[in-house]
Amino acid sequence: MADLAQASSKSAQNQFDFVIRVDNVSKVFQTPSQANLSALEKITLDVRPGEFVTVVGPSGCGKSTLLKLIAGFFASSAGRILFQGDEIRGLNTLVGYVPQESKLFPWLTVEENVGFGLDPKRYSRPDRERQVNYFINLAGLAGFEKYYPAQLSGGMSKRASIVRALAYEPPVILMDEPFGPLDAQTRMVLQDELLKIWDQKRQTIVFVTHDLVEAVALADRVVVMTHRPGKIKDSINVTMARPRNIFEIHRQEGFDEAYGRLWNIFRHELNIGAH
Amino acid sequence: MSNNVSQEKTPGAPSVDVVTARIGSALSLRGMGITAVRVAIIGGFLLLWQIASGPWIEPFLISSPSRIFSSLITGFRDGDLLQHTWVTFEEIAIGFPVGAISGIALGYAFGRSRLLAEIFEPIIIALNGIPRTAVAPLFIVWLGIGLWSKVGVVFLLTFFLNFFITYTGMRQMDQEYIDLARLMRVKGWKLTFKVIFPAISPYLFTGIRTSIPFAVIGAIVGEFVASTEGVGFFIRMSAGIFKTADVFVGIIVLMIMVIIMDKIAAVIEKRALRWQTQTEHIQIQA
Repeated sequence: MADLAQASSKSAQNQFDFVIRVDNVSKVFQTPSQANLSALEKITLDVRPGEFVTVVGPSGCGKSTLLKLIAGFFASSAGRILFQGDEIRGLNTLVGYVPQESKLFPWLTVEENVGFGLDPKRYSRPDRERQVNYFINLAGLAGFEKYYPAQLSGGMSKRASIVRALAYEPPVILMDEPFGPLDAQTRMVLQDELLKIWDQKRQTIVFVTHDLVEAVALADRVVVMTHRPGKIKDSINVTMARPRNIFEIHRQEGFDEAYGRLWNIFRHELNIGAH
Repeated sequence: MSNNVSQEKTPGAPSVDVVTARIGSALSLRGMGITAVRVAIIGGFLLLWQIASGPWIEPFLISSPSRIFSSLITGFRDGDLLQHTWVTFEEIAIGFPVGAISGIALGYAFGRSRLLAEIFEPIIIALNGIPRTAVAPLFIVWLGIGLWSKVGVVFLLTFFLNFFITYTGMRQMDQEYIDLARLMRVKGWKLTFKVIFPAISPYLFTGIRTSIPFAVIGAIVGEFVASTEGVGFFIRMSAGIFKTADVFVGIIVLMIMVIIMDKIAAVIEKRALRWQTQTEHIQIQA
């Protein structure tokens, strides 16, 4: 199953330079008071196959809106988004989505949640079982297969939520501040686990966060967004070697340099006086 | 990944079980006390009733527990009461499930189709404004004096309650669950039965359980209006000839009917919503 996913992502690479191309996209929301709220303005962003891109920006800058547009939850007000060369119209079933809160289906057990996206037409029963087992083990949830989400800790639900999106092997995973509400230690553990999983699978990941350290630690490339209406301010490449040690990321060569550059771009957004 | 599990607080099965067991034993002690008080209250009330009947209040007004009990026994032994109970049960057994299922189905349809809801919502609300038992005589005119007019009234009462509660559930549903499921290419019956219905199932059970007493009310009202058998008929007839004990017997039969139906629904609910019950345990803990 894993080989298959890699093979298909390789062929995608030959076909297109970009798995996602956000082309001059704006999004305006109508608020209940009939005012127009401009959430995103002329966003242009390309994501290459297999790339781990993080998007940082101040809160309320439209980071989540951008992800939801790529997932096709709603349509953009202007511009277009190409996915593997085709314009997204309606729901984009080629992406997996990890929402801010875990949003596991509370009425399904852990294993039913993880297997939920495995279409019986694409996966035979033994294949499904193997796939579910593989991802439950990967998430360190072995022994908790029959548990309901209400019985899990925050970190465990998070992991289950991530592997639920991975299990049906969409070529792209969108993650919306998945580690936001967790405590610092659990967060690091999960970042580490996410990188380990990604090292094996190398799906394309677009990861939204407001944490600069997280953004640098995980990414191949960090995209910085401005205050509302969100625009893309800059993007930096992170050349740190992989595999990375999340727990001592500060000591890793290239971290300081990348973080420094990112902070230089970002601090203007926080309105902290530049010297 | 699994080597890191231990670094996290894991709600391991043993600790949860231990806590639950401790609460369980505390509850049963407390529960025994509660039961004792409850029995005392009911027993005291029945005793007072028994004493008051005769010396203080005319028995034909309030009868008495002993008279009611013996009427209950003779009623069932003669088979007369059994027949009436069966008739009423039949009316409910047809009208209630049909009403509940149609109410749920329409509530679901309204929740899914904005157009449908926009067109029909005011109409449904207006129809709901009609005191439904007032329509019962019409059902007699349309469907005759037998079984089907009562089934109609039961249906009517059950339908609206289930419709409104299901529709409320649909509107409160978290859109993100649907979005996520659809992203996983889940649609059609799987979306309906594996996502939407489970998500609104607490509402469905609330609807079903609140409508149980109303279904019985529907059957009795129908029988009051015009009938030749059924518990409602039995009550009205007994009251007409001042057989007060039999009136109470009829009331008790209806009460037991409601309790049994509610218990059955409660058992099904507990099974269907077992993914929720665990949360309740944690709330007790806090």
